[in-house]
Amino acid sequence: MTFEIPKTKYSGRIREITLGKGDKAITVGGESCYPFYLYEGEMPRLPRIAMEVYDCPPEEWAPAALEPFAGVTDDPVAWAKKCISDYGAEMICLQLISTDPNGLDRGAEEAAQVVKQVADAIDVPLIVWGTANHDKDSEVLRLVAEKCQDKRLVIGPVEEGDHKKIGASALAYQHTLVASSPIDINLGKQLNILLGNLGVSDELLIIDPTVSGIGYGIEYCYSVMERMRMAGLAQQDDKLQFPIICNVAKEVWKTKEVHIPTEEAPALGDAKKRGILMEAMSAMILLLAGGDVMIMRHPEAIRLVREMITELTAS
Amino acid sequence: MTSTKKRLKVHFTPDNVDITVPQGENLLKAALAAGVHINAACGGNGVCGTCKVLIKKGEVTGPRSEKISPEEYEQGYRLSCQSRIESDLSVEVPLESRLETAVLGREMGTAEAKTEETVATGWSFNPPLNKCYVEITPPTLKDNASDLSRLLRSLKRRCNLSNVSVDLDVVKDLSRVQRKKGGQVTVTTLVKAVKTKSDKRKPTIIKVESGNTSREHYSLAFDIGTTTICGQLLDLNRGRVVAESMAYNGQISYGADVITRIARSQQPGGLKKLQQAVVATINQIIDELVARSRIKVEHIGHMIVAGNTTMTHILLGLDPKYIRLSPYTPVANFLPPVRARSLGIGVGKHVHLFTFPCVASYVGGDIVSGVVGVGLHQSPKLTLYMDIGTNGEIVVGDSDWMITAACSAGPAFEGGGIKHGMIAAAGAIQDVTIDPVSLEPEVSTIGGEKPKGICGSGLINIIAALLEAGAIGQNGKFNTELKSQRIRRGGDGYEYLLSKESETQTGKDIVITEVDIDNLIRAKAAMYAGCRTLLSSVGISLSALEQVIIAGAFGSHIDIERSITIGLLPDIPRDRFIFVGNGSLTGARLTSFSTDLLDDARKVAIMMTNLELSERADFMDSYIAALFLPHTNAAEFPAAAKRLAGLKGSGPEGRPVL
Repeated sequence: MTFEIPKTKYSGRIREITLGKGDKAITVGGESCYPFYLYEGEMPRLPRIAMEVYDCPPEEWAPAALEPFAGVTDDPVAWAKKCISDYGAEMICLQLISTDPNGLDRGAEEAAQVVKQVADAIDVPLIVWGTANHDKDSEVLRLVAEKCQDKRLVIGPVEEGDHKKIGASALAYQHTLVASSPIDINLGKQLNILLGNLGVSDELLIIDPTVSGIGYGIEYCYSVMERMRMAGLAQQDDKLQFPIICNVAKEVWKTKEVHIPTEEAPALGDAKKRGILMEAMSAMILLLAGGDVMIMRHPEAIRLVREMITELTAS
Repeated sequence: MTSTKKRLKVHFTPDNVDITVPQGENLLKAALAAGVHINAACGGNGVCGTCKVLIKKGEVTGPRSEKISPEEYEQGYRLSCQSRIESDLSVEVPLESRLETAVLGREMGTAEAKTEETVATGWSFNPPLNKCYVEITPPTLKDNASDLSRLLRSLKRRCNLSNVSVDLDVVKDLSRVQRKKGGQVTVTTLVKAVKTKSDKRKPTIIKVESGNTSREHYSLAFDIGTTTICGQLLDLNRGRVVAESMAYNGQISYGADVITRIARSQQPGGLKKLQQAVVATINQIIDELVARSRIKVEHIGHMIVAGNTTMTHILLGLDPKYIRLSPYTPVANFLPPVRARSLGIGVGKHVHLFTFPCVASYVGGDIVSGVVGVGLHQSPKLTLYMDIGTNGEIVVGDSDWMITAACSAGPAFEGGGIKHGMIAAAGAIQDVTIDPVSLEPEVSTIGGEKPKGICGSGLINIIAALLEAGAIGQNGKFNTELKSQRIRRGGDGYEYLLSKESETQTGKDIVITEVDIDNLIRAKAAMYAGCRTLLSSVGISLSALEQVIIAGAFGSHIDIERSITIGLLPDIPRDRFIFVGNGSLTGARLTSFSTDLLDDARKVAIMMTNLELSERADFMDSYIAALFLPHTNAAEFPAAAKRLAGLKGSGPEGRPVL
């Protein structure tokens, strides 16, 4: 008798969600097995990477992160175009950093204008990410949803505290929502139920479980994502059968370790490589936990992650 | 400079009490010193807003609190805990800030009496306190045995009592009492619990009175809760309740939960103050019971008290310090009887106070009493017993085994920490229906009086009704897009107007706020998650339970269906639920009637296994999952979820009902 490797019995499947519209629209999800368990099921849609663009010149980026975007960081449209043309970005994530009430506090009108310009200039799906300030996001993201009503944006983060306001406006214009919850499987599920109660269709949801980078509690994020997948795939929990998006670059590149120059901490190795590797490794870990979309920054880190996805899914 | 602070006079109404204090004294402290009770759920930290008072005359200074609305501030309302006395004052303590006694005057033979027939069955009527009338033969030269010997002889002959011991206090008075009515005396004896059935019981004579008073044979049963204290006056000849009364525990002025109380007890003189506060409430209830029943206090011969471990410690003056500190040890679980008078309780000096044995720091005599009261220890059926209160307690088991856990639910179920919360007494809103189209409520109160506040069962019903009407979402937040004047923005965020000022006793609007709803959701989540965790720790599913017994100070009623709707109780067949009212009080009462049950209480305390929920990783997970209406996992509440789904879209146009 030959030995057979025991297989997980799956009872569910992750929903397929289409981001953006037109030729360049991207569909993610559809998994019928745990991440990369291709001997047990299928991953019909490979995980995708969105490249980050700030709506104002970044102030505290490490030199290694700024280098690839020299000359375009003061122009979101040019920046986004460069990501697509030079680095092959399949999606853009526009971070509305300038709207932060504790920072530049730029108004909703101006922010929405920038989003519109970027959306008009590119043909790949556009993710628009606010500041997680409920009052400000409600104002800004609602206007963005209205101004870009035919663009099929991906809008987030939508949290329990602002889900009604942002949800309702996105609902009206059929944008996809990023349902964002603070690293807890139950809170994540509760928000999905609330959005469902509001009338948001299951086809327009993607989950942000809140993530971090290596060295900053990524194990916890991993565990929550893993449990979300187990609930969705093996426990018939249809409120957790959504693709997962990870806003990881911002977390990695704000850590102390990516900012220390080589000469100050020779033990940590080359500063440039260090940041890139930390980003790539964080993203890889999150992909193994069940991530479907990674929001990333450095082209080299992106290349490494793409390579890994290719290798892990090679038949 | 010497500190010759000005002495100022403060007058409190409606108590009509004066006190003189130095200038700058804290107003709440002054009130406490004057014996005027003001609620202070947060222990005087200025956060809860329950110690609101009206300054009628004079001046106080202190930071302005957001708990006082601008209109109220204008009228002179202040938080007493934040106010420094700057001049002579006249202070009115408004209704909502006062501790209240509620004499329910409940007809016996309702919900509670039912328990005795249907739940606790294996006991016979043989009270530990016994009264026996004897006629002692006068001494003669031929029979000049001592007065005591002759008394004991008569006792044996007339009452078949032997192996009797006697209190020195009794002997001191014996000769006089015996001769007063020609040897006619009534002897009161008391027995304690024995460890095994074969142990011989040894009655103690605690009182000898002249004449025949055996018809006047009464005792007291008390449930000392963290939030509420309930007492019953029992007729031990007839085995029935003569009067019942309840009041908020006077310790509330020192904090809402046991942890705050223990912290408070560690301050200089703190334990003494807390002990006096609870004794004052007990005395207040005894006065009430005596006045209502027209029974003389000297005819009360015994007292049995069920309280959680901390309450038991404080009542007896034991230091509860280590209850709070890991590894959480009580001073003692089994405590000897004490003379009630020595604790300051206003009863005869012969009256002994029994406390129920405790199991652990957070599983106390109240739960042991409840288990005995409902007869769980005699039941062949697999039973879940839930005592829903500030310290929610859960027991699973049957006559062979029991496991228990405590989950701190907070005072919401007893109306505590709720803006317009109150005890389950006359005037408390206990039920409400809400029209799904107009959102207009129809409230009913205990006793049919004008509304005064909301009690725990009212709170459950209100939240279920708001949910079913689509006025709140499954997260307990108001649906603010609805066009209704009932939902509005108040001092603590959004609120729902239940009764307008013109309809209430307080002359103020009665509302339920989002914060109140949140408090109740947390409380119900702790109870439900506790049940889930306890059951899973012994590998039992909810559906395997043969009966669920629910206890709690809910007055006479808890709506099972609506409790399931909000996810407090599990969604299992309704005929498995039994509501017993105050289970601890039932246990204290039945034990007053039956020495068998007194022995059983000891056994139950030894037999219960305690599970520390805080050490279970899955408890927190279950808790977060339960912080939703009815629950994050709809599959656990199929009936409730189906009903709520059925209501979807049935609301007024354009309104998502959930």
